[in-house]
Amino acid sequence: MKKGTAEMNKLANDMNRRSVLKGMGGMGLAAAGAAFLGMPRGAQAAESLNYMCWEGYNAPSILDPFQAANDATIAIDLITDSAGGFAKLAAGASRDFDLVSSDSPWIQRMGPAGFCRFLDDADFAEQYADFYPQFAAPFGPLQFEGKATGLPTRWGWVGPTVNTKFDTLEAWSSYAPVFDSAYKDKICLLDWGDWPIMPLALYAGVNPYEELDEAALGEVRKVLRAAFKNTRAIVGDLAIAQKGLLDGSFRALIGGGTYCTSSLRLKGHDYIQSIVPEPKDGLKQGIIWMEATGLIDNGRNSAIAADFLKYIVSPEVAKQLAITEATCNLVPNSKAEALFSEEEKKALQMDYMWTAWENSQFHTVAPNIDDMLAIWQEELAAR
Amino acid sequence: MATPIIDASHIVKDYGRVRALHGVSLEVGAGEFVALVGPSGCGKTTLLKILAGFEDITEGRLEIEGKDMRGVPAASRPTRMVFQKLALFPHKTVAQNIGFPLKLQKFDRAEIDRRVVAMLELMHLNPDYLDRFPAQLSGGEQQRVALARALVSHPGVLLLDEPMSALDAKLKKSLQAELKKLHRELGTSFVLVTHDLEEAMMLADKICVMRAGRMVQIGTPTDIYYRPANMFVAGFIGETNFLPVDVSGTLEGGLTVGSPLVAGQPVVMESGNVSEFLGEGNKALLIRPESIGFLAGEPGPGQWMLTGVVEEYFIKGSSTQYRVRVAGLDAPVVMDLPGSFELPAQVGEEVRIGFEPMRAFLLSE
Amino acid sequence: MKSQSKTWNDPVLVAAVAPLAIVMLVFFLVPLAMTALLTFQTTQYYRLQWTWDLTIWTEIFSKPHYWTIMLRTVGMALICVVISILIAFPTAYALTTRLKTYSAQIQILIIFAFLTDAVLKTFGWILVLDRQGVANWLLSYLGLGPEAMDILFTPTGTMIGMVYNLAVYPMFTIYLSLARIDRDLVLASYDAGASRIRTFFEVTLPLSRPGLYSGAVLVFVLSLGAFLEPKVLGGGTSPLASELIRQSFETRVNWPLGAALTIVLIVIGALTLALAAAFVFRRTPAARRELA
Repeated sequence: MKKGTAEMNKLANDMNRRSVLKGMGGMGLAAAGAAFLGMPRGAQAAESLNYMCWEGYNAPSILDPFQAANDATIAIDLITDSAGGFAKLAAGASRDFDLVSSDSPWIQRMGPAGFCRFLDDADFAEQYADFYPQFAAPFGPLQFEGKATGLPTRWGWVGPTVNTKFDTLEAWSSYAPVFDSAYKDKICLLDWGDWPIMPLALYAGVNPYEELDEAALGEVRKVLRAAFKNTRAIVGDLAIAQKGLLDGSFRALIGGGTYCTSSLRLKGHDYIQSIVPEPKDGLKQGIIWMEATGLIDNGRNSAIAADFLKYIVSPEVAKQLAITEATCNLVPNSKAEALFSEEEKKALQMDYMWTAWENSQFHTVAPNIDDMLAIWQEELAAR
Repeated sequence: MATPIIDASHIVKDYGRVRALHGVSLEVGAGEFVALVGPSGCGKTTLLKILAGFEDITEGRLEIEGKDMRGVPAASRPTRMVFQKLALFPHKTVAQNIGFPLKLQKFDRAEIDRRVVAMLELMHLNPDYLDRFPAQLSGGEQQRVALARALVSHPGVLLLDEPMSALDAKLKKSLQAELKKLHRELGTSFVLVTHDLEEAMMLADKICVMRAGRMVQIGTPTDIYYRPANMFVAGFIGETNFLPVDVSGTLEGGLTVGSPLVAGQPVVMESGNVSEFLGEGNKALLIRPESIGFLAGEPGPGQWMLTGVVEEYFIKGSSTQYRVRVAGLDAPVVMDLPGSFELPAQVGEEVRIGFEPMRAFLLSE
Repeated sequence: MKSQSKTWNDPVLVAAVAPLAIVMLVFFLVPLAMTALLTFQTTQYYRLQWTWDLTIWTEIFSKPHYWTIMLRTVGMALICVVISILIAFPTAYALTTRLKTYSAQIQILIIFAFLTDAVLKTFGWILVLDRQGVANWLLSYLGLGPEAMDILFTPTGTMIGMVYNLAVYPMFTIYLSLARIDRDLVLASYDAGASRIRTFFEVTLPLSRPGLYSGAVLVFVLSLGAFLEPKVLGGGTSPLASELIRQSFETRVNWPLGAALTIVLIVIGALTLALAAAFVFRRTPAARRELA
């Protein structure tokens, strides 16, 4: 999942106006020798780990106990973009990292791409035993030719985010309002890479997770063009998106779901819900997103890194990972469920989660994603 | 004198709580060359800026060419100024600088060019300079361009704010001579501000000596030199000697002057040798260095004598200056003797010096 | 003039310039050259392929939308320059004239605003420009009706943010130029018979040109890199070049494409500046000497 607030802050820090042009030159350097990215820091402790992760995984309440118990230090490199993180590792930074937490399709690819260690499910039998049956080993979404890369760590669904003060849930049983002139200037597309494209493609009857031909890409183009007509803003920042959802200026955040709404629900805005639309012509319209954590293959074969992997999916830690300052998300560990309060369970829409699961596609890297992103760029420019 | 071209009366100028001018009056006749002289901060530049229209008047009245200047901006006055730092426009060529006032008066290009070239000739400036920028000229050349810009539109009055203060002595002398010649040729009224009384005396028809926002004396160069209003004016030009004296009697009945410091009888001063501004305070005789000499014996009739010790002498060529320390006087007595091959006295030598008090000038502080 | 006769044969001059030249070479030219090299590579499966071909350049010259965004960026930058100068000049002028007494205090306030994090400021504008924001509250208070203004998430919103963040540069360059103008030059112009307005155009404006031009160039170059404003205040619906480049690098992980777009932006920016310089110098030959 794209992480709004974290993304914006990181981007703003890394790539504000003053540095964006320089940065581009710098990226050229990075391509040639990315070796000095993520240099190990702070070597006082017995072992230091370099951890590339999304927001939430870096919470001190998660890292500190582990560091103390294992006499290790963990240096964090926050990702702002799953694909970007993958590319960074691919460019050579994998030599300097030990752990990575990213969107599951990217983790899944890191094994076959040669910079993540494949896991033996038997080593993690104890962990899998605690997971909901849906995540039981062998867990397909993280496997490649029968070999697993990483363990699932957080999940949720992508679908209409409905503010029931303004709309009924029924109105959003499909994405039709996105194209309804009554919703002109009331739609928010999340500026999170492929995420806003996927549900719109599904609405157009195209399964974006399959290989697409010219005709299918043409449908994607049409649906994006139509969606842009009613779009008020393409927002990268989670806080702005949430604010608009609350005050009704955005009637739905396309490309988002529980990631956007759960934290609002926990703060008492329980009239806001994420749902998945009804299947359309046999095509499931919802999308399950999942994050996973993998062990980077840097030749050191760190045992502490493997311990961290077990640690991060353990019930107590999973519960902390679920409820962070910025967002609230589901976790695969069923034992964690008992640790949530009633409010937290309500906020996470736990009563709805398996309904959503049933009606959703599992998010992977779409084979034609670059074509679709190019179409997105073109249609946006033509707007 | 006919109607003055500038008639300033009782000008008062306040900057906030500070009074810069305390009711100053000034008349400038048509074609007259007037110099405003005084030490820094005396108000001479303020007065010039008031004439130019850069400063308004707190109290008083200013007429130029018979018109009240109240509320008349600088741009509409018949005055032109040459600034102390010249204020040539650095982004305009020499031709553009000189032609600027004409351009504002909407003369056509040909006329402007003609007059600019004429001005360049008058100022003895190389015609190749037309397209140069001020920064490419020497200091003296910039000076001439500034003068040319000020004179090109034939102003009624030319105001000069210490325009030569930044030049070296030799260049200054030659420009002073040219300025005087220019004034004679053009017949324009000039008002020159300077702190150099010698320069004022060389150039001006009329000198106004100012001090602390007041006019101390207005007069011809000879008036100022030979009949200074007080010790301030007298001391302003070069080095001179003041001998404190006791005065009795009245101006009408004759003033008797004597001093306990000298050997000699009290004398009665002629009215021509008494300052018309003689006041109540301490009085002194002004004795110019050239009117004192060494005495071989006793003083003659009508002569006063002082005794002292030679402190220093300076051989200046045509003259030799001696400084003689006299008991009871704060400053050494300065004497200018005609130059001679043999020195009349050595340093440390005890000497007698004498002068004729009747030919000195009586003034007050 | 003497300074103009110095040549590159002068060893002292070469020695004096060398450290700067080396710094420029290492930190500017080398990365730029590497960026240029990158454009002749391709990516496959999110990995850079070291091939030497023109795929990316063919792509760029065959897709008009890249150029739409580039031209829109240059257009926005030029508008931003004009508006920034129109705001900055009177402000700087007032600081050197009417507000001279409070100039130091006002400058400190401006510097404080300037040093505040650009992210904070840009997000702050949302609170002002929002439909239920401060600006609309004020307008409705003035009797203009509810939600009279709807400029958040429009190019106007982008422009407001850009001008707000950038106008301070020309404000200071112009202020420095104006403050350096000798007051006597203005008086000399009045004295020569020029009105206040005429004096402004004959003396003040020409002499403030160095500050005006450097301020304009700064705004222009920084505008080309405007990133936050179109994203946050413009609502991302009219992306500018830097967003396009970010998408190419980060989301599409197409580094050669991002690098090529960077080169295109730099070239377009440099050409625009060169054209503007040629235009300015042709009109005012004196400017050349001034800046020399």
